[in-house]
Amino acid sequence: MLTKTLTVALVGNPNAGKSTLFNALSGLRQRVGNYPGVTVEMKKGQFTAGGVAIDLIDLPGTYSLAARSPDEMVAVDLLLGRRPEEPRPDVVLSIVDATNLDRHLYLTSQLLDLGEPVVVAVNMIDAAAAQGVKIDCTALSAQLGVAVVPIQANKGIGVEALTRAVLDAAESGKAPAGPKFPAAFDAEAERLQADLGGDVPEFLTRRVLLDVGGYVEQWLVEKHGAGLKQKLTDARQRLADANCGVPGVEARSRFAWVKAAVTAAVSRPAERPVTFTDKLDKVLTHRVWGTLVFLVVMFLMFQSIYLWAKPLMDAIDGTRESAAKLIESHMDQGPLRSLVADGVIKGVGSVLIFLPQIMILFGFIAFLEDCGYMARAAFLMDRLMSRCGLSGKSFIPLLSSVACAIPGIMATRVIENRRDRLATILVAPLMSCSARLPVYVLLIGAFLKDGYPAWLPGLVLFGLYMIGFTVAPLVALVLKRSLLRGAAPVFVMELPAYRRPKLGAVLRRMTEAGWAFTLRAGTIIFAAMVLVWALLYFPHTDPSGRSYPTRIEEAETAAKESEEKLKELKEKPDATEEDKAELEKLEAAAGEADKLNGEWKRQSLLGRAGLFMEPVFKPLGWDWKVGMAALASFPAREVIVGTLGLIYDVGDVDSGAIGDDEADDDAKAKATGLATAVKDDWAKDPVRGKYGVAVAASVMVFFALCCQCASTLAVIRRETRSWAWPAFTFAYMTALAYFGAFVTFQIGSLITDALR
Amino acid sequence: MLMPLDMLRTGEVAEVEEVSGQPAWVGRLAELGIRQGSRVRVVQSGTPCLLDVNGCKLCLRGGECSQILVRPVA
Repeated sequence: MLTKTLTVALVGNPNAGKSTLFNALSGLRQRVGNYPGVTVEMKKGQFTAGGVAIDLIDLPGTYSLAARSPDEMVAVDLLLGRRPEEPRPDVVLSIVDATNLDRHLYLTSQLLDLGEPVVVAVNMIDAAAAQGVKIDCTALSAQLGVAVVPIQANKGIGVEALTRAVLDAAESGKAPAGPKFPAAFDAEAERLQADLGGDVPEFLTRRVLLDVGGYVEQWLVEKHGAGLKQKLTDARQRLADANCGVPGVEARSRFAWVKAAVTAAVSRPAERPVTFTDKLDKVLTHRVWGTLVFLVVMFLMFQSIYLWAKPLMDAIDGTRESAAKLIESHMDQGPLRSLVADGVIKGVGSVLIFLPQIMILFGFIAFLEDCGYMARAAFLMDRLMSRCGLSGKSFIPLLSSVACAIPGIMATRVIENRRDRLATILVAPLMSCSARLPVYVLLIGAFLKDGYPAWLPGLVLFGLYMIGFTVAPLVALVLKRSLLRGAAPVFVMELPAYRRPKLGAVLRRMTEAGWAFTLRAGTIIFAAMVLVWALLYFPHTDPSGRSYPTRIEEAETAAKESEEKLKELKEKPDATEEDKAELEKLEAAAGEADKLNGEWKRQSLLGRAGLFMEPVFKPLGWDWKVGMAALASFPAREVIVGTLGLIYDVGDVDSGAIGDDEADDDAKAKATGLATAVKDDWAKDPVRGKYGVAVAASVMVFFALCCQCASTLAVIRRETRSWAWPAFTFAYMTALAYFGAFVTFQIGSLITDALR
Repeated sequence: MLMPLDMLRTGEVAEVEEVSGQPAWVGRLAELGIRQGSRVRVVQSGTPCLLDVNGCKLCLRGGECSQILVRPVA
């Protein structure tokens, strides 16, 4: 009887049904394990079987154990017990697809070389039977030398027998032997093993010989010096001379072994029947019909994200507002109240507001992936994406970024190639996200509405979106040619058979994405929001030492008190001179709070930084007000509308009210007021009065290209596990934005001069 | 007659004779079942193309297909 906890590693090809089996075995007790320095995550689940506690580790789907990158090496190291975080697995559970045994058993044959007990689960036995494929598991077990259990993971059939087989394998502890390699290869491996010494497992010694330029080779050459490289070259040359050159020798040896096993245990109909998948693919991968279906699917997906997320986002926003109001009415005025209401609650709100979009998008992605459509979409889009050095798999992440870069960046997890994935992550924030829209609408409304043809605002808006659509692929191309240059990525993708997705699995993916975002990115976003709050709050006393918040409160109280009087005076039919003077005074008092707020923000740390940096903004045609608003909006670009409102003394403008016909009248009036205030203010200034349109265009181009979103940077940090990539994204996008705004203003002002 | 895989038309079947190129790429294709002696059927030609290898659909680009030499099977 076993008493200790068993560690079982679950390994299989992508699409073998690994996650389904993992969920069937471990139920709800799952957690995600992270490994330093790599971007892979492995799920871990716990369950008990026959009184034994079992730790199940779900390794990322792979076609072989030939590691090409640090990410792939994690799985190999874990299987060999070389990761300090995890014990060496007691049993390796190899899951294979019954409809595609030949290929899946290749990985199994590598697992047999690990020197650990192996159990094989033959999944989708029903689908194989439907195709007329009969598998004799007893015969297969005799051929492979390990237990073979037929299962249907999606229905939980055979799972009990499988756990029993795992327990038996652990108890016997018998390690199977994999396929035999030619004697010449074994001799070379022994020779190399003697050179490397005992700290390199035999499994890795054989791999380093087989995987030319693979990760094991890079790692060992770094450790043992260039001498090893020469030894490897010599050994491989000798193997080639002996007619068993790498990597061919591995494929030949293993597939011969697989073929022998399959011939003995599997009977197939002479003619493969045309499956449902084949019929469906006739339409879905068709260049014309398939593309049409794809466009409809994408349209429906984004339409639903927009429609379903909107009420939820509004609800979150409403809760945030009322929570802030509640705090304001129950706490004494002071820095602490402001921190809680403006910093903490707004910070938490700005994290949670992204949740509906992220979860809905991930629901769609999980559904499309699980049913097998995602690979077809990538196939259709590959031709387009290959022009900018990416693959079809980058299409959906980039398209999602039009709604919001955060779910888009999280969606890049479907891209296996590390360089492709990085390039996609780095350009995703260039796609024009929904948070840029209020900025565009505000500036277009202020400068391009009156006195211009009616089609111009729409055209400018279209142009701004096109900036993102054209610059992103160009930057991707440049990145792939420079920083992320490397051997052309091997683009080969499997199109799995269509399957009915499971609701539970889709919901699980949605909640996982939601948690991952809230917990790990949320903390960073939250910190950034609090920082900007502090920069706008301090110092909070005027030159005479009185506190601004107190003065604003007093002004607000005064305005409220005189509200009745003001209304009365306004409606008075026969107003005297005295009344008019009184009215003016009262109106001024009503605007006093907004004016004070503006004065406070101007002398805050951020306001001073804006003034100090005015020379930097000058070539863009900006004054310090625009510059400061742009600075304040670096953590979240939609902040610019509110900040502009403060700076131009209109009060706190709700960015959601811009262009929203359903917003309440007060919010709408304030939004329109801001556009008018900006316009009036610029009219008084020599530069902005003359070149108003050029300045507005320069601001819009800056916002189109700049990475003003702490959340995006936090997600990039989370997905790449490094601070270098978010820093790089921020730097290149800011430089690009500055340059773009500079060119826009300079050309715009030249055109303005020429037209005059 | 030997020819690169991208010369095959939709529906044609061929036997793989040789896969050239970088070892990592050759190795990856072998793992997926495209290696000397295996049979492929072109489901959809062009780039990227769709191949049927042992009942499993794979998608490859034209440039990569040209590195795979095949012998058409009547």
